[in-house]
Amino acid sequence: MSAAIEFRNVGKRYLGEAYAVLRDVSFAIEEGEFVCIIGPSGCGKTTVLKLIAGLDAPTIGKVRKPKSVSMSFQSGALFPWLTVSENVALGLRARKMPDLEVAHHVEAQLRAVDMLHFHAKFPADLSGGQRQRVGIARALAVEPSALLLDEPFSALDPKTTAELHRDLLSIWHARRMTIVMVSHLIEEAVGLADRVILMREGRIDAEFPIALPHPRHEQGEAFMREVQQIRRKFFT
Amino acid sequence: MRYPVTTRERLWALVLGPLLVCILIYVVALLLPAVPRGETVSFGEIMGAMFMSFVRVFVAYALAVAAAIPLALLVEVNPTVESLLLPVFDVLESVPNLAVLPILVIFFLQFGFLDGAAIAILFLGMVWNLVFALVGGLKVIPRDVAWAAKLFGLAGYDYVKKFTLPAIFPQFVTGSILAVASGWNIIIVAEALHVYVPGGKIGQDLFGIGSVLVQTSAAGHTGAYMAAFGVLIGSIAFLNLFVWQKLLHYAQRFRFD
Repeated sequence: MSAAIEFRNVGKRYLGEAYAVLRDVSFAIEEGEFVCIIGPSGCGKTTVLKLIAGLDAPTIGKVRKPKSVSMSFQSGALFPWLTVSENVALGLRARKMPDLEVAHHVEAQLRAVDMLHFHAKFPADLSGGQRQRVGIARALAVEPSALLLDEPFSALDPKTTAELHRDLLSIWHARRMTIVMVSHLIEEAVGLADRVILMREGRIDAEFPIALPHPRHEQGEAFMREVQQIRRKFFT
Repeated sequence: MRYPVTTRERLWALVLGPLLVCILIYVVALLLPAVPRGETVSFGEIMGAMFMSFVRVFVAYALAVAAAIPLALLVEVNPTVESLLLPVFDVLESVPNLAVLPILVIFFLQFGFLDGAAIAILFLGMVWNLVFALVGGLKVIPRDVAWAAKLFGLAGYDYVKKFTLPAIFPQFVTGSILAVASGWNIIIVAEALHVYVPGGKIGQDLFGIGSVLVQTSAAGHTGAYMAAFGVLIGSIAFLNLFVWQKLLHYAQRFRFD
């Protein structure tokens, strides 16, 4: 296994800001690994994703980015003037893919997230969970080697969140892509990821490998033990 | 206040309401014994004048759009450019447009093209409404949607065409409504240009609804004035009902939650 993503002593300070958002951050993520980054608000989680996605550059240090990367956002980040299909096709059209191939890919991705019936709807007509599904379909459509998820389930109800967790895991198992997810929920991180990275004030505070088999919520005591271990560190 | 929704509400707000006001004004004017009566401008001429004014407003609006979009996009290039340009825009916007009109008239008089002065003053009255509306629109684009646009391969011209311009379309429509409304205000002065021409005569006025309003009013031709006023109000109401209202409705689809 080789590192798909690597941060070496990365620091990031935005122009005009007194404090650095990231300080001396180093970690590596293997190909096909599912890593969840947790931490309090403002600790630099989203900045890490931006650096991996190439949306920003580090002020200091080195970032090894994956071969191809895609991202799904908390709000879905859909274009409100495009239909569901057109949103999913966005990345494919930017790659000048022929129309017929685009249609084929879009259909496959919408089917994967159970949104095919909504292909002609606009984002305003969808619920939060449905928008999130479309956002994931859009991210998957470009067949990335790494998928970045920025608090994708934080605005959803528990039932929808559980459904999407299940769908995400089945997509990950089927495609074995690298996934880096940012979350503020310890239970969610333990329930999904191979490894949980705890960030605090722009630094990596601790890392927790999770070796439990899926579905983890059914692991009862073992699952809660992992959660408690991270929670203790989180709140100290 | 909410926008009129049903056809009846729209008719009242945009046609029947203004028409009733016009009729009331006309009745009041007729009742005033000091206002002499007389019809010197035919209805056909008034409609022709309205058409000419519409062309001037439209040309000025098109020029204002062509100028405002790049100016607004320039502000978004980076924070340094923004900090330099916004104060300049603020100062330029606060310069009273009509104070510049004599200079414009003298300039365009040299080329015998007074329409240029009218269009230029209309342009100045419109462009800042659009610029500030568009800059406001750019400021409310959600950060994550802009990231998504970049991440999914939109860059350069494609980014502007497929992302930025649709994203600011609602503000473009509201800015356009304000700009064109400002144009209808200015048209009254922009066409009665003889006042600004050294030794100017009334014949030097541009043929348009603004000059008809000024001339009929000055001559005390109340009936012609009221007819011209009615045509102006009716045309504006027509534009509101069939262009701006429809565009406002369509723009809802472009709004971010």
